Amino acid sequence: MKGKVGILLAMVVLFGVIASGCIGSQETSETKTTSVELTGDFVKDVLAIGKALESNGVSEVKFSAWGSGDPNSVMRVYGIVEAARRINKVWEENGVNVRITITDTHYVASFQDAYQEYLSKQPLGQAGDFFVNSYAFLPTLADEGYILDITEYANAYKNVIEDFYPSLIEASKFNGKLYGLPQDTEARPLYIRKDVAAKIGFNLEGIEEKVKNGEFTWSDVYYWAKKAKESGVEWGLIHRKGSAHPDLIQFIFAFGGKLYNEDSGKLVVDVPAVYKWLYVEWKFAQDGLLPKDIMSWDWAKQIHPAIVEGRTLFDIGGTWYWTEWQTKEYYGKEGTPRPLKPEEVQAWFAYTLFPAGEKGLKPVTLSQPFVWMINSKAGQQNPKYDELKDLYHKLAFLMIIKASDPDINAIHSVISAHLPVRKEAAKLISDEKWLNDLKNLNLDLDPQVKDNIKDIVATTVHPINAKFLADVSYMLEYTKLAPAHPKYPALADIFKEAVDKVLRGEMTPEEGVNYIIQKINADPELAQNVEVVGEIPRDWKFP
Amino acid sequence: MKGEKLRNLSFFLSPMIIMVGLFYLIPLIFTIYISFTKMRNWNIERYLTEIVGFYNYQRLFHMFQHDPLMRTVLLTTIVFVGITLIINVFGGLLLALGTFFINESSASAIRLLWLLPRMSPIAVYSLVWYYFFHGSNIGTLNSILMKFGVISQPVPWGQIVPWGAWSIIIFVNGLVGVSFGMIVFTSALNQIPKELVIAARVDGASAWQISRKILVPMMKWHFLYVLTWQFLSLLTTYPHLFLLVQWDLVSRDYGTTLALYVYNTAFGRGEQDQGLAAAAAVLLSIIGILGGFVTLKVLQFEKMIHEPRGDIE
Repeated sequence: MKGKVGILLAMVVLFGVIASGCIGSQETSETKTTSVELTGDFVKDVLAIGKALESNGVSEVKFSAWGSGDPNSVMRVYGIVEAARRINKVWEENGVNVRITITDTHYVASFQDAYQEYLSKQPLGQAGDFFVNSYAFLPTLADEGYILDITEYANAYKNVIEDFYPSLIEASKFNGKLYGLPQDTEARPLYIRKDVAAKIGFNLEGIEEKVKNGEFTWSDVYYWAKKAKESGVEWGLIHRKGSAHPDLIQFIFAFGGKLYNEDSGKLVVDVPAVYKWLYVEWKFAQDGLLPKDIMSWDWAKQIHPAIVEGRTLFDIGGTWYWTEWQTKEYYGKEGTPRPLKPEEVQAWFAYTLFPAGEKGLKPVTLSQPFVWMINSKAGQQNPKYDELKDLYHKLAFLMIIKASDPDINAIHSVISAHLPVRKEAAKLISDEKWLNDLKNLNLDLDPQVKDNIKDIVATTVHPINAKFLADVSYMLEYTKLAPAHPKYPALADIFKEAVDKVLRGEMTPEEGVNYIIQKINADPELAQNVEVVGEIPRDWKFP
Repeated sequence: MKGEKLRNLSFFLSPMIIMVGLFYLIPLIFTIYISFTKMRNWNIERYLTEIVGFYNYQRLFHMFQHDPLMRTVLLTTIVFVGITLIINVFGGLLLALGTFFINESSASAIRLLWLLPRMSPIAVYSLVWYYFFHGSNIGTLNSILMKFGVISQPVPWGQIVPWGAWSIIIFVNGLVGVSFGMIVFTSALNQIPKELVIAARVDGASAWQISRKILVPMMKWHFLYVLTWQFLSLLTTYPHLFLLVQWDLVSRDYGTTLALYVYNTAFGRGEQDQGLAAAAAVLLSIIGILGGFVTLKVLQFEKMIHEPRGDIE
């Protein structure tokens, strides 16, 4: 009996030794990869990450995409959906059993609201893995560590990065590091009503060139606006409202001023330029050429109808107005409000750069690029996050690389009248065949994406709109960007208040400038971040 | 015996104590703590332990001294709370008394009507008044007045400072708040023995005399309750104001109270400065505590809570 027990024990011990040896050898022979080096070869990198995830037992990667903006800009989230499909396809074709699922496409109209929601939910880990919003918020998000530094990843994808317009890549940086990829941009043309111009004898032929050369300045805008008013047109000029960021600060650049000192890293209040800006606004409003209460006008019921119904000669708008006028019912001159047809927009509006403030200066335009940003906690809802964080982050980066594919970017540009951010996308826009395919949705796109953009495509994809985008693309050469500084939104708010008070006649332009300085100095933190330079010009005349 | 009493007290009071601690005391302590940190942009991990002493208070007082908007905020708070409080309390009282003397079905209909503003979603309710008071000819008020030839040009009501802006915010919030007093006072009136009113009627007293001599004196404590509650509520309310200012209906300068300033500073700007906002919120709490204390003292609250006579131990 004792012998049998001894043999049994010896067998158990032997089995244990063999089993532990097997387990041990399995561990050494199947070391799981938790990190992959990006090479710049997209397919190779996607496969490497896919295989690494698979070997770690991950078969589904969940991501969410948050975006915001006008109703036509839904590709800001569906671009991510499409990128996921394209990566899934690569994995499927190569036998990698992992799939990306986009769990949430959260899209809201107000980009400020979206930003506030993101700020409050990021620390809780409930914000989107991808966040498309204005570059203006990028410095704060980067500074707080809320978004991923993708500088290292991007170094491997120089071939793609170099295809973006350099100024837009610069706008996606903070303290020299890259925190996102440009998603779109736009220009802010000065629209001129052709019918009103004809009525007052304002010859628009060659106007773009005159503006480009600085021959047609804001004094000329004033002259013709006054003529229009005298001829019975309701207004000479309409401009956007709300925060002075970023539209109206074009005046500062048009008067040769600046908003940021690269050497000190501080914001700048360029007093002469700010004074001239406020003076022009004040003069237009006091002479009845611009509504004194424009800053509290209603977008849908006042601002856009006044423009599309020809109740103004000039309008400072954005490129996206072009398709917005074709999709929203702003035109109510015939009774029931309706959208404009592409032919009407083309027939009624001329467009140029924002003219120089005065002779000898240059015209400008302003861009506010939207940027694909990646949550610094991207992939958090997936298995083994702590262990596989690097894989999830790199996969997220590859997704925004894919979402920046020229065709995805070109679709977004055409249907929302934003400018493409890549040279390859710009080429597609001028390709008639491709436009036709887009019109018929004869493109290799996710059915969900097709379904969500089909109505917008039906109303906006038109050769006239493509030509418009091609026509205004040159404006990017003149573009300025508001400073990427965490304190800039606070300064922009003060500018807005001052413009409102000056327009209403509550303050003279000089008082407006002093008000801005007083407000800055009232907040010690803001005062530390702003330099006030120059003095109010005493001998300056306008017009 | 004492231990048993304490146990009983603890049993019955503990839910209330836990609620007060959880929803009032802890947030208050937390707000005070945050006001001593550099908390911003919701970044708890980074700033919660970064104590900066009285930095936020110093910054706030510097702004009070040098920023004209801050003085306007204080003035707007005083005017808004003062006048809306009078409207809410006396309006509620008048409505309760008015409906007391008419038949019940009409009274219920009127009460329901006045409850509508409180029952409407804030955004919808604010939007109604946005279009009503809009400063252009799309504004309902302007178009009516222009139609009847009272005005020839649209009037920017909310931008006439200070009283245009103040009138709108007081009007909109007054309509919401008046129903609270109405309900409390109506309930109080229903508790008054009907015999007293009937007897006064038999003696030939008018509705005014009955109200002045019988009903109002018997509602003193309800009056005190509504006054204190509404004061604290108005001091901290901001949702309607936020929308009316956000939509540019009323002047930002004269439409911003201290409560709205706290909200905007904490959550409403490009850079959300929760440390500074917490300092302003502490200031707001101090004003609320002092104001509530003064109200209770002036109206002799302690008289209401003295021990009842004749209780058996």
